[in-house]
Amino acid sequence: MASASLSDDSVPVLKILLIGPSGAGKSAYCEDQFDPESTTATIGIDFKTKKLAVRGKAYKLNIFDTAGQERFRTLSTSYYRGAHGVILVYDISNKKSFASMEKWFDEARLNANPDAVLYLVGSKLDKVGAGGRAVSFEQGKAFAEAQGAEFCEISSKTRENVKRPFVEVVDRIVQKPELIAGTPAGSKSIDFDMGNFPSNPCSC
Amino acid sequence: MESLSAETWDTAICGTGLSQSLLALALSRSKKRILHLDANDFYGEHEAALSLQEADAWAQAHAGGGATHHLDNQLAEGENADEDVTSDKDKLSVAPKLSGKKSTIFRNAHVWKHPNAEAQGLSFPRAYSLALAPQIIHTKSKLLSQLVSSKAYRQVEFLAVGSFFVYSSTDAVSGTRLARIPSSREDVFSAQSIPARSKRTLMKFLKFVIDYDSDEQKPIWQGSADKPLSEFLVDHFKLDDRLRDFIIALTLTLDGKVTVRHGLTTIHRHLTSIGLFGPGFCAVYPKWGGISEIAQVGCRAGAVGGSTYMLDTPASIDEAGNGGDISIKLSDEVSIRTTTLISSQQIRSTTSQSISRLVAVVNSPLQPLFGVLAEGAPLPAVTVVAFPPGSLLNNTQLGSNTPVYAFVHSSETGECPSGQSVVYLTMQTIPLSSASEVLDMALTTLLQAVPATGEILYKLYYEQATSSRQSLVTSQGDATVFEFPSPSLGLAFDDESLDAVKEAWKIVMKDEALDNSFMKFEDREGMDDDDDVYD
Repeated sequence: MASASLSDDSVPVLKILLIGPSGAGKSAYCEDQFDPESTTATIGIDFKTKKLAVRGKAYKLNIFDTAGQERFRTLSTSYYRGAHGVILVYDISNKKSFASMEKWFDEARLNANPDAVLYLVGSKLDKVGAGGRAVSFEQGKAFAEAQGAEFCEISSKTRENVKRPFVEVVDRIVQKPELIAGTPAGSKSIDFDMGNFPSNPCSC
Repeated sequence: MESLSAETWDTAICGTGLSQSLLALALSRSKKRILHLDANDFYGEHEAALSLQEADAWAQAHAGGGATHHLDNQLAEGENADEDVTSDKDKLSVAPKLSGKKSTIFRNAHVWKHPNAEAQGLSFPRAYSLALAPQIIHTKSKLLSQLVSSKAYRQVEFLAVGSFFVYSSTDAVSGTRLARIPSSREDVFSAQSIPARSKRTLMKFLKFVIDYDSDEQKPIWQGSADKPLSEFLVDHFKLDDRLRDFIIALTLTLDGKVTVRHGLTTIHRHLTSIGLFGPGFCAVYPKWGGISEIAQVGCRAGAVGGSTYMLDTPASIDEAGNGGDISIKLSDEVSIRTTTLISSQQIRSTTSQSISRLVAVVNSPLQPLFGVLAEGAPLPAVTVVAFPPGSLLNNTQLGSNTPVYAFVHSSETGECPSGQSVVYLTMQTIPLSSASEVLDMALTTLLQAVPATGEILYKLYYEQATSSRQSLVTSQGDATVFEFPSPSLGLAFDDESLDAVKEAWKIVMKDEALDNSFMKFEDREGMDDDDDVYD
């Protein structure tokens, strides 16, 4: 299963969620892919793994996308389990997208670990050049502050600032030892990879 | 919403119980267009895990006796009900209940809250996750092997089920009222609660069960296969009352009348499950609410595979086959078309058993119940306590002939805040009497027997029955309607329900269903992808 380079136990694994309304560009952000023609919901990606060093220490991030379950607001409580950080994404060229963020913050607070780090991201910064901005930087910043979250604007297309939210979220997470201590897969849970399943488990 | 009606779906799945959610998982790598709905605004249907707020609302919705529900599935659904009734009488009688809201599986639900619950430590409603299906899963269960082969297990955290205790009011031997059932050779030898002579007979029996199905052992029990196990244990193995209670408790059967055949099968499963994934434990329990968590992970896999999810969306069959499709009306006057419809049966069968359940939040960790079972074993999060028939004091008038089981969950399950525990008590519903009183008595007795003090903060009581045990398959033109049976009432997960999932999968996949590909997937791309290294 895990490749040797990543199964190094000394690298802490952090679970980061991306949430927000459909079309906010979460998937483009998650996958480091930008396809301006693609407007379809994300299919086939469960989560993406990135390695990141903050203050000289390496971390492995498992970044989960909503898999389209944001469309009718059907994200399950299990999606939020064990998340260390939640990045809430809206589209700066879409007022409605920004207006929905209060509900998304409420949902994140309701379901995620109370200590989880919340972070607001305005996406599609590249649209500013063509006069596409509908939500100002100051509006985004003020809203984030009111929610006690940090904030930045990014463009998955031009790569501007794409790294910053992850670095800042990890930086906040590592300042909360109680959050890391509650990491899933502690000594109490059972590791099936160690189990001795028959090689052909389903005999039906 | 309009885009939902724009295409014909390959399948519409109604309800997010375990069966439907495992089907969603099984279909998650197919190219099928799938719409997955639930009438409730939470996942899990009959196997949901509820916050206290949700539990209150759920109890209110299932407070009734649920006696006369035969025609209400569509009548209550909306303004167009009359049309449905007059259009086709036969159709109405076969039209499935598509959503959990009109179910008669549960009834007589009520909640009780300590008058000073908050002062006693009751936390905010979302700090709790009360499982409607607190079933333990034996490590040998096919459910686990399917979760592993489908890679879905990565999203579920499994905890160990620890000790099995038997309560006895007489405490003849050891002075303790809760005796731990020894289940391995080492265990039997070190057990202080069993006299040496009994140890030998117990060992003899355990040795027999391990290969009870061999040609050598079969003749010993086959003649009495359908007789009560309790008699067989005494007649053939000379087990005393206490050891008999131990063995019967391991079967987790609710009527105390388990047959030799069924009893040996379940004890064999229990014993051969021990040690499969680590020392000491025979079963696991998914953190955060049991089966509900697996259902949610199945739905997530469905969503990752491109299925569309809608909760809080009751649905009913609108009109039958028109060019091979079924039209399904969603509550908001949107109709969709599909070629197969999968749902679950919502009506209790007239021959169904009924069980009574009491879920209680206690403001004590009940630490003494959660000892580690063997060296190197994980700390257990679930403990089983059996009250054999007749063991509860002063309840002769309340039906002492049925056993009561208590599953005690520590806060490690994530179902309550730390410092508290959740106790799930189950017994057969007793007619003309109050199972709820017996369960209350068992709960009080349990709390007195554990050397730890605890107050009861919150209780949810309900009764649960089952639909017919068969899947229902009906054709409407070229379209197929499939209905899962409701969950079994067993205290341990029953692998039989998995057969229906595969049956449904074959119906949806049609000729693309390759037997050996069922539930066998590689990890999704993106897993362990370390190309994106930020410094």
